[in-house]
Amino acid sequence: MPPETSSLTLPRGSRLGHTIAQNIGLILAGSILLLAILGFVLIYALEQHRLPGNFELTSTVNSAMPLVFAAVGQSFVVLTKGIDLSVGGVVDLANAMAAVTMGKTLGSALLWSVVILFVGAACGLLNGLLVGLGRLQPIVVTLGTLSIFQGLAIRVLPQPGGAIPPSFTDLLVNPNAPYALIFIVLLGLGWAAFRRSRPGVDLYAIGNDEAASRTLGVNVLRTKIIAYMLDGLLAAAAGLFLAASATAGDATTGDSYTLTSIVAVVLGGVSLFGGRGSAIGAIAGALITTLIVDILFFGHVDPLFQSFYEGVFLLIAVVAGGVIGGAIRRRR
Amino acid sequence: MKAAMKYLPRLAPESWRVVYAIVAAIVLFLIGEAVHPGFLGLANVETILVIASFVGLVAAGQCFVILIGGIDLSVPWVLNAGAIVLATTSMGLDARAPLAVAATLGLGIAVGAVNGAGVAWFGIPAVVMTLAMNGIIEGLVLGFTGGFTCAACSAYAPPVVQSLAHGALLGVPDALWLWVVVIVLVSAVLSITRFGRATYALGNNPRAAVLAGVDARGLTIMLYAASGFFAALAGIMLVGFGGQASLGMGDPYLFTSIAAVVIGGVNILGGRGHYLGVAAGAVSLTVLVSVLLALNMPDYVRSIAYGVVILALLLAYGRETET
Repeated sequence: MPPETSSLTLPRGSRLGHTIAQNIGLILAGSILLLAILGFVLIYALEQHRLPGNFELTSTVNSAMPLVFAAVGQSFVVLTKGIDLSVGGVVDLANAMAAVTMGKTLGSALLWSVVILFVGAACGLLNGLLVGLGRLQPIVVTLGTLSIFQGLAIRVLPQPGGAIPPSFTDLLVNPNAPYALIFIVLLGLGWAAFRRSRPGVDLYAIGNDEAASRTLGVNVLRTKIIAYMLDGLLAAAAGLFLAASATAGDATTGDSYTLTSIVAVVLGGVSLFGGRGSAIGAIAGALITTLIVDILFFGHVDPLFQSFYEGVFLLIAVVAGGVIGGAIRRRR
Repeated sequence: MKAAMKYLPRLAPESWRVVYAIVAAIVLFLIGEAVHPGFLGLANVETILVIASFVGLVAAGQCFVILIGGIDLSVPWVLNAGAIVLATTSMGLDARAPLAVAATLGLGIAVGAVNGAGVAWFGIPAVVMTLAMNGIIEGLVLGFTGGFTCAACSAYAPPVVQSLAHGALLGVPDALWLWVVVIVLVSAVLSITRFGRATYALGNNPRAAVLAGVDARGLTIMLYAASGFFAALAGIMLVGFGGQASLGMGDPYLFTSIAAVVIGGVNILGGRGHYLGVAAGAVSLTVLVSVLLALNMPDYVRSIAYGVVILALLLAYGRETET
């Protein structure tokens, strides 16, 4: 497009209007989250004749933690225009390793947590190398590594079992108060710092136009490897939270996080076409996904129909988000 | 090396990938014979090919949508719903079989068409649309069958459907005849019909295809409907093969069908590939599992080897050209 025509289509609205249009995905995700919270409180109040209190808040936050981490991990890769189907496998592997290794003391649990996080990052490194150096599509690479990670998880923990020290559970998902919110805040702050770093900026650049960003000097290979490693690390953290919640391990419970993390990322306003959205949105998406399950539970919806309502909700949210987002962008 | 290359036929890179996929399947068969003598026995090969045909049917639909850069994640529950609808509506009676088969295939086509409409009209990403549809069908199946506890849920497939999956004609299993027909039809549709050329065109460059007069929306809906049709068809064959429907019987077919398509040399971004390669990919994956089973490998080794072989095949011939 020649410069003179592009200057005509430059946004002429207010600065606020510009900010809204730029962050429309995040704003929509925040609105859906607000509606989900209100819906939950309303249904809970109608059914239980009181407002949800500390216990409900704590259990909701705790049950959302694994998905929050898995979704933020997924968002890094989706921002590069990729997709990670191996998230479930890494969650499985971390979960299985935690159950086998942690022993009885908090000290050994923390030490092994660090090891497990490194293993998760190594899984991500493998994905990143295959995508970056192997020139294979992310979806097929992670389809293959999913199978490998799932196999390793079953090797580590053939039968459900093992044990997680109670002190570790109290640290990660304390059942008495929603202390786990601290981890969400830390995750958000970590994202804010990363977003402003060189790899963070590059992440958006290659998600928007890989060829152009390469020409402009972005190290595409390094950025992708960083994205996949962070993704693997956070998926492993999800596995740790899952193990802490269940107080034991199971090498297959993590499988579902592959698809739910994609749902959370989409609900959080991260574009599957890359370069748009943020990890904050993914956190919101993960909380929405968890709240929907709670709403259906307290609304006495037949649990057999649960996945039907989740599917319908996902479609409505995505279509409504697309319509509203499109309308706002067109008006400017 | 160069001199030898001269005698090889000149084929497009996509056609070479079909050759590679077929060679990979043959090599895997030979490895099977090497590590487990008797693996190449006629009965064993027939069994492997019949099981591969179920993957191949699902992968035919998956191939259609991947050729336009889409994907169908609703395959598992469309297949499962198809199997359940067939068993429950036929009640195991041959007289009701034609109607039950029609209802099952109609369901697959309808669900696929809704997927296509969501992608084409509402611009929903294919991953999201078909993932949500998978959940919707799962919820409906579980809900309406009361968690698969309904009286009709334990019905057997009609004998005529069972014999379709187990019978043989001229010494070749019926399931393989069906697959051969599907291979010929799908390959013909893709390579010599207007519909097929439009599919490749849409996958290569949607904008150019639309400007050249391709009805992108209509075509997208038809391709997703085809995917639903093939998933339902696989459901019919599987319920005939196993006798009864069960919950979760479609789950293994999601990732396997995608893997068969990409190992078969189809570009996951669309526009390039042939169904013949996909069929070879389905055979490769089934042979691989059979070899590992024949060697009595534990589950985890099978899972790891499966992943490693998929990645190795892709690295060998599935890489994108240098940019």
